[in-house]
Amino acid sequence: MKSALWENIFKGWKKEESATVLTLKQVPIFEDFSNREFREIEKLIHQRTYKPKEFIFKRLAPGEGMYIILSGGVEIYAEDANGSRNVFAVLDEGDFFGEMSLLDAEPRSASAISVDHSELLGFFRSDLMSILDRNPDLGNRILLNLAKVVVERLRHTNNLLTEAQKQASDG
Amino acid sequence: MAKPTDSWSQFYRLAVGLLLIYGLTIIWPYISSVVIMLVFAFLFTTVLLPSVDLLERKLGKRVFGVLIITVAVTGGIGLFIGSFISQFAGQAKTFIEQVSKYNFEEIIKNLVASLFAKMPAFITAILPQGDELTEWLTGLASNVTTYFQNLISVAGDLVGAIGSAFFTGLMVLIFTIIVMQNYHNFKRSMVHFIPNKYFEVGLRLTFNIERQVSNYLRGQFMAAASVAVMSIIGLLILNALGANLTLVIFIGIIAGLANLIPLVGPFVGMVPAILIAIMNNLGNEAAIAHKLIVIPSPFYILDIILMFIIVQQLDNNIVTPKLVGESVGLHPLMVMIALLIGGTLLGPLGMLLAVPTAGIIKVIAQEISFVSRNAHLL
Repeated sequence: MKSALWENIFKGWKKEESATVLTLKQVPIFEDFSNREFREIEKLIHQRTYKPKEFIFKRLAPGEGMYIILSGGVEIYAEDANGSRNVFAVLDEGDFFGEMSLLDAEPRSASAISVDHSELLGFFRSDLMSILDRNPDLGNRILLNLAKVVVERLRHTNNLLTEAQKQASDG
Repeated sequence: MAKPTDSWSQFYRLAVGLLLIYGLTIIWPYISSVVIMLVFAFLFTTVLLPSVDLLERKLGKRVFGVLIITVAVTGGIGLFIGSFISQFAGQAKTFIEQVSKYNFEEIIKNLVASLFAKMPAFITAILPQGDELTEWLTGLASNVTTYFQNLISVAGDLVGAIGSAFFTGLMVLIFTIIVMQNYHNFKRSMVHFIPNKYFEVGLRLTFNIERQVSNYLRGQFMAAASVAVMSIIGLLILNALGANLTLVIFIGIIAGLANLIPLVGPFVGMVPAILIAIMNNLGNEAAIAHKLIVIPSPFYILDIILMFIIVQQLDNNIVTPKLVGESVGLHPLMVMIALLIGGTLLGPLGMLLAVPTAGIIKVIAQEISFVSRNAHLL
């Protein structure tokens, strides 16, 4: 009787984490966030469903934000002048793409197409602006994490470039 | 060549669209007042949203922010209306007493005669002649007097009108509280229905419209506040020069609020100031004989007009460009056309909503043009 009463009083404390929050926790942009902050982000993001072969966005379309894969799969590719498809990556559950568009509205550098029935979470520039207005601490941490991701990519690109230059000078 | 199924699909969409428009025209008379209340609730929310967001940030809970803003705004409006009614009633009473004390027709006749005597001949030649003008002015004055006297007798009707206005205000307040509390959820639910193909475009469109309306309204309200403050300062300066104006703060606030309606508003602000100057200075020889430098300015009318022109110039050339800037970015001719259409459709309310609506239409047109140019990218 006593334990039932206490369980009832504290029933809100042990909230089951939703699939959305569990997926968001895998994304470096939301690294080290508290459960309360994840719930705040969960209220802002957009859940979208895509059929197989449905475009999420096309190359050169103005970018509005990033997507996180909740379930299913997404292919990132670009077509060359001859129309042949150059696949950069095939992403699945927990992966994310398009994060550069959170920082600018430049055209997308590649197309993204759903390869399966896919559930995606969209987090867009307007959502980031909204967080920056309402909770600047949280917004700034997202921006800092985003900068870390971009810097990591830049470092990786620099390494590839150095290796390519070395190979060219050796060859 | 279009496939037959495409033609049928287009025909079907057109038929559904026309049916929807027809249905809307039938139910519009029943829902129009609620729709207008909702529009106002969204407009107020747009203006108050940054304050609610700021308080949510400081206090941690949105509901506290909504509560504080609601109490502050309703308290401010209640205080304004309450003190305005009490002071206005006192003003009307004093005016009626003053009017019955003097021979009004005599005052007007003397005033017109002294004005005509001081004016150069070429001006008096183009003006309506003495008697004609006197007749018009005395007619106007007796109308104003009758209006004030009738005001007391029609108090019963007024109570009904005030009750209806109070109900509308209360409904707008309730809608505003609900929208303020759930604004971000509403927005998310609305964009949820956009098809995947147009989702990012739709999101950008919503964001741009929101920014356009919010920048415009916030700028306008700040410009209105600055016009109110400048008008109050101007009226106090005129009082220091002997204009004997009362209800200064209310006249300032009315001038500020009237300023929300572009082009027409600034002139609306002058009217109560001139009326009060005339009411308060009836029989005051010094005020009747007052001159603005060398030009006769009975009851300080020219001084008041000049003061409002200076306030308008300061507002148009310094304050509004800084606060509102290019927020809407409409050509002045488009602003005028929008005002005329708004005024014809909904009267003063239409004029108030005309410019932001034209701004929204402009954003939608820009996005449609973008989508049609880049349809292959969607």
